[in-house]
Amino acid sequence: MAYVAARGGERAIAASEELHGRLSGPLSGELVRAIERQLPYLVDRVMGEGSLYAPELAALALAQTGGDLYEAVLLLRAYRSTQPRIAYAQPVRQGELRTVRRISAAFKDIPGGQILGPSLDYSHRLLKLGVLDGQNVELGMLNVELPSEQETSSADEHSAFNIQHSTLPAVADWQRAEGLLEPLPAGEPADPAGLPDVTREPISFPAPRAHRLQSLARADTGGVLALGYASMRGYGMSHPTVNELRLGYAELTLRHPVTGVAFSAGRVRVSQAEVVDTGAGKPGESPLRLGFTATIGWNEVKTIAGAMLDLEMSAPDPHPAHREEFVLYHTEPVESSGFCIHYKLPHYVTFGSALDNLRKAAGEGRREGETLPEATPSAGEAK
Amino acid sequence: MTLAELTHPRQDYSYGFLDAFARRELRRRILKAIAIPGYQVPYASRELPIARGWGTGGLQATLSVAGPQDVVKVIDQGADDSVNAANLRRFIARMTGVETTTDTARATIIQSRHRVPEERLAEGQLLVLQVPDPEPLRAVQPDSSQAREMHADADYAQMWLSLYEQLVRFGRFMQGASYPVIVNRRYLMSPSPIPRWDTPALHQSAHLTILSAGREKRLYAVPPYTDVRPIEFDDVFFQVEDQAGRVCMITGAAQKFMDELPQPGGGSRFRISDTGYVEKLLAAARGEPTAIGPTYYDDQGRFWMPGVIRGRGDGDS
Repeated sequence: MAYVAARGGERAIAASEELHGRLSGPLSGELVRAIERQLPYLVDRVMGEGSLYAPELAALALAQTGGDLYEAVLLLRAYRSTQPRIAYAQPVRQGELRTVRRISAAFKDIPGGQILGPSLDYSHRLLKLGVLDGQNVELGMLNVELPSEQETSSADEHSAFNIQHSTLPAVADWQRAEGLLEPLPAGEPADPAGLPDVTREPISFPAPRAHRLQSLARADTGGVLALGYASMRGYGMSHPTVNELRLGYAELTLRHPVTGVAFSAGRVRVSQAEVVDTGAGKPGESPLRLGFTATIGWNEVKTIAGAMLDLEMSAPDPHPAHREEFVLYHTEPVESSGFCIHYKLPHYVTFGSALDNLRKAAGEGRREGETLPEATPSAGEAK
Repeated sequence: MTLAELTHPRQDYSYGFLDAFARRELRRRILKAIAIPGYQVPYASRELPIARGWGTGGLQATLSVAGPQDVVKVIDQGADDSVNAANLRRFIARMTGVETTTDTARATIIQSRHRVPEERLAEGQLLVLQVPDPEPLRAVQPDSSQAREMHADADYAQMWLSLYEQLVRFGRFMQGASYPVIVNRRYLMSPSPIPRWDTPALHQSAHLTILSAGREKRLYAVPPYTDVRPIEFDDVFFQVEDQAGRVCMITGAAQKFMDELPQPGGGSRFRISDTGYVEKLLAAARGEPTAIGPTYYDDQGRFWMPGVIRGRGDGDS
């Protein structure tokens, strides 16, 4: 390696990183496996925002950062950006998802049935304090009989998500058949390799639908929730109902490069939400409009809030905070968190430059009764 | 001969970290940016193992053009030894094997956050500026789609209006760093948050400047020998930060861009922001052989190219 201008700064960096590592304790394969096995919802969130389905790597990222979510997501994204595209999987249809949980708020019952599946929705949010006294809280102590006749997912045989599942038709299919929703575009789904890819090309607005859905899929859960909640609470133009919320496993189907035969390379956890707007039917159009968000991993808050934002963004004149550019730029977890923490960097050159103006304005240029400006007029200055 | 001898040694990452596709895309975008001076070219912008907003745009530009023969200098706020500069330099050297330096004159690539070195850059040198916000219109038009239309129409009326408003309210232009410029008489451009002191250095410069915003996914360039003019009125001129009366506490030099250091008992002391230049002045003071290049400003604070800075009473207009 060539000469490196080693300075005090580099020793400080090494010491700082070392100190951080010591506070969160030693890394081990055991720790990584425990995180992967026992904190699946956390792993899912990191995979979703990192847009890389790799439970083991997501668990490693969490362990390595001491559980700092944004750092873990960045680790995964930076790793992801070095990986080549080996192949494109076949599109997954809703009805083919191996579904473990599926709720519709729009109807009391739906073709295929409502499936409560794994959820804390109706749990009493009480801390199990007994655990602290050495009491073991095992699955099964509830004495609930779980059905076992259905096949289990081989890909997740050893995971906490080893749950029965079934394939179910989409609620929207029924609505389309009834003429309540626009029919799906005719023909085969687009060639996956030809889809616009937000990780390989810059986004511009109005964004292609693929870019919007990809951005929502990798968006910051908290950010999507904040903007989505603003819409739900009253700043929104639409009044949506959850048409269908699904958690399931998607078959990752590839075509063999030589024989062209389709085969499964495994299954990935996915979640999706569809909301319908009941308030915007125009004469001559279908009465219902759909909002949609899907992500890898199981993340109900993000998909529901994202689906509502999808509806808002498509509305003719959305609230400024629900315009496509506003939503997609500001819910990008790596960019927003990175820019936020960049304010820790020194800014003394820009600050000095502003000070020069302020002093001059306070001296010569100020008129009678004029006060010192509190900030420089341009927002784009001291970054 | 065995197969093992014929294969590349194992590498965890591509040369320069970026894969070949990302590198190709960046190089093409850079060429386009050079062809249309000051125009913001969108690019995909890959995630790097450095936090977004910490120089990933500059880093991608540097990594996509650097080769093993390059000599790289990295500065942050003018300093080679700040932790952020040290970190980026460490990463660039680790991924490309380039030689690194603090000497402005020796560097083939200078990646910088918020400063242009005091010594004049020469032909063949590349200045890569890290850009937090590529859009000079952001303050008057936060919507990027509309800002793009304004650029297409060269509709910069709102900028002139805001300049005029500053004049009316404060009696002077209040823009500090990132003072907007018109490049090649066409595009309004943010020169990145360099102080106004550095803005004239981009005008008709011998070197190439690439400005790259990783988070905002835009890059743009000022080719050598291109007009770069700060926006100003015919009768009220752009002014650089006043360095008069400031003497560097380390070198005793004057009329360079100074960092202000507040003192415990009140008042301030000053030191030259460009640490590489300070090193050279110190070496020269010790009598060591040192080649100090010509600087943008002389000891009286006159800019080297007459007529560029009109708003100073120092006789160079």
